[in-house]
Amino acid sequence: MDRCKLIFHICTLLLICSHSFAYQQTAKTEDSFLGLVEPFCPKTVIPEWRDTHKIENITIAPSPICNPDNPYNIAAFVKGTNNISMATMMSTQLSADTLVKTNDIDGDGDPDEIHIRLEVIELNGFSPDLKDPVTTYNIAPGIQPGFWAFAPKSRGMSNESFASTKANPLLRLPSPSIRVEQGDKIIITLENSHYFPHSIHFHGVDHPFQKANGDGNDGVPQTSNKLTMPGKLVSYELTPRQTGTMVYHCHVQAHTHILMGLIGMFIVEENRPNNWLQTFNVGAGFVRHSSQAVKEQYSQEYDLQYQDIDRELHNLIQQGNDSRLLAKAFNRNYNITERTPDYFILNGRSFPYTLRESLIVIKPEEKIKLRVFNAGDQQLALHTHGFKPTATHFDGIKLRPEAQIQRDVFTLGPAQRVDLELYAHNDGLNNMGAGIWTYHDHNELGVTTDGIYPGGHISSVVFDSFLGPEGMPKLQGVDVSPFFTKEFYQKKYPVWNLSDDNRLYGNVAETAANITAKEQNSIAFDSNQIIILILQIFLLLITIYFLRKHSKKSDD
Amino acid sequence: MINKKQYKSFSTGTLVAVGLSITGLYSEAIATDKPFETVDPVTTVNNKHDHKLMEGGCGSNMRMDIKGMVMNENKTELPKDCEKISEDITIKVQAGTEFANQYPGTVFGFDEHQWQVKPCSRITVEFNNKDETRHQWMVHGLPKYLYPKGMFHIEVNGLESKTGTFIVPSSHFTYLVHCDIAQHMEKGMKAQIRVGNGRGDLPSIPGISAPTFSDIF
Repeated sequence: MDRCKLIFHICTLLLICSHSFAYQQTAKTEDSFLGLVEPFCPKTVIPEWRDTHKIENITIAPSPICNPDNPYNIAAFVKGTNNISMATMMSTQLSADTLVKTNDIDGDGDPDEIHIRLEVIELNGFSPDLKDPVTTYNIAPGIQPGFWAFAPKSRGMSNESFASTKANPLLRLPSPSIRVEQGDKIIITLENSHYFPHSIHFHGVDHPFQKANGDGNDGVPQTSNKLTMPGKLVSYELTPRQTGTMVYHCHVQAHTHILMGLIGMFIVEENRPNNWLQTFNVGAGFVRHSSQAVKEQYSQEYDLQYQDIDRELHNLIQQGNDSRLLAKAFNRNYNITERTPDYFILNGRSFPYTLRESLIVIKPEEKIKLRVFNAGDQQLALHTHGFKPTATHFDGIKLRPEAQIQRDVFTLGPAQRVDLELYAHNDGLNNMGAGIWTYHDHNELGVTTDGIYPGGHISSVVFDSFLGPEGMPKLQGVDVSPFFTKEFYQKKYPVWNLSDDNRLYGNVAETAANITAKEQNSIAFDSNQIIILILQIFLLLITIYFLRKHSKKSDD
Repeated sequence: MINKKQYKSFSTGTLVAVGLSITGLYSEAIATDKPFETVDPVTTVNNKHDHKLMEGGCGSNMRMDIKGMVMNENKTELPKDCEKISEDITIKVQAGTEFANQYPGTVFGFDEHQWQVKPCSRITVEFNNKDETRHQWMVHGLPKYLYPKGMFHIEVNGLESKTGTFIVPSSHFTYLVHCDIAQHMEKGMKAQIRVGNGRGDLPSIPGISAPTFSDIF
């Protein structure tokens, strides 16, 4: 009885409260085109991850950007999932056999037999039960093209939770950079967890055509390997003698599978004593535990992987569920000769999300190594403001000293790599002083998102004196809020709006006269109002129900 | 730089939240088939893992080894609406691509996609993976005071098997069983457990129900 009363009172209270909120219609100014502005740095980021960490006796460098890599993942990637405590393991979502490091063959203090397990995951794929894609991954506000990617073998759910369809953080683009040591025995196992056949080809990496047992080892269906079907696995073996920034990618239906995201960097590091490598760099970007050889010359190291995306290809996985239809769509219907890219991603994100993950934070006089990889199908013309970097390696091969040239635009065709030295020495040549220096594709297509500028391949080199809280650069240009809305990239927002005090460039359709005319001609339904109304009716019904119940019991 | 405009939707947001919390309470009451007042506060979740081999983070109980893992196993604790175990049943589940054959257009599958049990039964699942890659047998919607996140979960590596036990409540309900590796449920690894009379069929279960959104041929 008392409980009944209580619920009745709560309902009444809610009803009254809801009424005071109701019908606050948003003003119909041009600003109303600006939808929900996402924060520069999402609240889900764990700020402590930015600090220096010592986990499993591994020192993990600080990463002051908004969204740093999980340091526990880094510890697992350095030590191997077989050499870490259960507590560390539980702070990752890795499987027990993701990365097994054993056998110090040469006795130099680091493991020389490395077993790596990769899975193939689909992001933003189709659901027969939901209207929207599942295992979601946004490259920019509201933009979710379908992707396939290699991922370190994980445990548990691909989605964050039962209540969320967001992908767990290990599942993302690009396929992770993989680092191995020169001369190590590497066994890479592909567990094909996807519904299409796949393979791995080690592009430019020293590997034999056949394994010792005669099985194919080049990952090419036409010449070396049978297809690795869904639910099957295949192991590749290599002991690379040469070092450098190389590539791994799927070689099944390469014209679509590579572009769907099954491509990443494969880096062979120089052999050094006690050289514990960070085997995976998930999401590429800053390497929080560099190799000994890199540390000898550089204070920091970054992996920058560039890709371009044709929406027509990537949306195929969102249009149906039947495996036969999907195979036909990819293998026979999609016509790559009609390909036009719509989105451009650096380390799996387009501007402005690149500012959260792909900022290069530098101090004066620092020397930084950048490994730049064009994993797309378009030419990349990488331009750095404020710096003229030096090319030290092309396609992983070291250049002679006289060939190590400085430029301010480096052009890379598909699959090409360049290792750059970024030197913050303010002499007007290497560097022009401190600041927030943008680095971007100078192929102008590449700095857009669905034709809207700024988007795509844009990020910044930020001097530490210009870095604010939460990894946000101390920007002094225009208000960047519009770039953090879906509406901006849906072309709904007048680009200069926030600087346009005199309304020179606003939407013509939204002049006062037009609004009035529209309102007169149609009954306007505001979606907020309808939701409020439904909730109120719902509350009212509950109130009536309890009122009745209450009065009945009183009658009794 | 963060514009105040993002707070414009505050009033709507609050209302939606109020609405959702009400419907949330309501649906929880449905799920447990009990009036509102018996729904456990969230704080009682997550306190039951002292005797377990290992804690799985976020309050989950986990047994894990190189073969795979069992999460939130429960052999003894009765759901509070059950006076005793009604029956002990063992279900043997096989998983893999070979079971997709009979449902054209799917790629992954279980050998069975539906199991019928009595209310308050104790179910032992022997999960046998016939593929060389990882698969899961995951149940959702169980009472959260016994099963963190309402979940019972077996995951096994390629060609391995694992066994786990859990107890279902008394309410007649249809529980979702699936593999939550990206696209495995969508491409066929979806099943249901009907407790008692169940509560209808879930959509898009191979051989049982149609998808909500069908392919256009």
